[in-house]
Amino acid sequence: MSWFSSRGSGPRKEQGRVQTEVVEPDVHRSLALAALCEEIRRRKLQVLDLGSAVGSNVEFLSQYGCKLFIEDLYAALSSRAPGEGELAGPNFFAEFLSLPEDTRFDVVLAWDLFDYLQRKELAAFSEQLRNLTNRGALIFALVSYHKTIPAQPYRFRIKDEQHLIYERRTGADRPSPRLAPAEVTGLLKGFRVDRSFLLKHGIQEYLLVRE
Amino acid sequence: MVWKKSDDPPTQHPEPTPAPRPMTASAPTPSPAPMSAANEPPRRSSTNATIGPSIFIKGDLSGEEDLVIEGRVEGKVDLKQNNVTIGKNGRVRADVFGKVVIIEGEVDGNVFAREQAILRQAGAIRGNITAPRVMLEDGSRFKGSIDMEAPKETGGNASRHSDREANRPEATGVKATA
Repeated sequence: MSWFSSRGSGPRKEQGRVQTEVVEPDVHRSLALAALCEEIRRRKLQVLDLGSAVGSNVEFLSQYGCKLFIEDLYAALSSRAPGEGELAGPNFFAEFLSLPEDTRFDVVLAWDLFDYLQRKELAAFSEQLRNLTNRGALIFALVSYHKTIPAQPYRFRIKDEQHLIYERRTGADRPSPRLAPAEVTGLLKGFRVDRSFLLKHGIQEYLLVRE
Repeated sequence: MVWKKSDDPPTQHPEPTPAPRPMTASAPTPSPAPMSAANEPPRRSSTNATIGPSIFIKGDLSGEEDLVIEGRVEGKVDLKQNNVTIGKNGRVRADVFGKVVIIEGEVDGNVFAREQAILRQAGAIRGNITAPRVMLEDGSRFKGSIDMEAPKETGGNASRHSDREANRPEATGVKATA
């Protein structure tokens, strides 16, 4: 059985040189996470986690009794065959999230993955997310305002309802797309910003709601 | 001299027994701290039935004792009252039912655990997990969904949006809305 790609955690091509140095994780307050937890505790929700499987996050979410789907988007993007083109299109995202037809999510944990999609990719992905979410569904996303971001997405660990641990997976950096709020809503058609928090460490947290 | 019947049990000095390691199904704490030895479920017992690495079973498995699978199984593993361990060499293409299900090998199928499902670092699951408690060790591979039963009733189905508006927390940081 070899259904897990060994390339899954590797960097995408455009990220340039990757070093093995890993920086100590940082703990940051998360205002959007606190707001999201308020939502999750109300009833049993279907949650889509687009990050890698992190045991402590599963344990944290288990207290809410939600149904959690884990689909590692970055690993899927990284394991694309060379002939599949530079950009991931609608077919890729449809295949990536090929779930039972009646699957609808109430919460999507996108973490910092929007920073690792080209703008066209983000638009295509949002179309797929729109098909898989209920009206009122929330997307939790973090967008960097720094000039550079780590070459691979952070691994986020939920420390508690108000704090996230940012774990760098590589010491190498890449340019940040620096998505402005208007760009985020422009690319994510069908979603609007419900809440947004600019944090001291240069990260804008979003809770986007499906219209 | 008045003989008084003692209420105390007869003095005995039984062999000290180690405290049982609980396999609790209670709600976990949100802390990401690793499980201590005290509340970690048992890994193996010498009384387990074992399917060895060279064994291949095609069909349904059921029984009333704990089971360790180090070989290959295709079909269904149904040990709802007992613990099931898929060992490092275990390759299971089946739905697995158990009390505590521990995966160190590979499972292609759904896992149903009455108390807890544990995916160890070397383990991999492609399928859905249904259990009140789920533990994924870092480095483990998982693709599918995790259905965790709610530990308690959590409110009604009131309008989520209106509740959200009413309970909007005060932001102490800079708030920007597109």
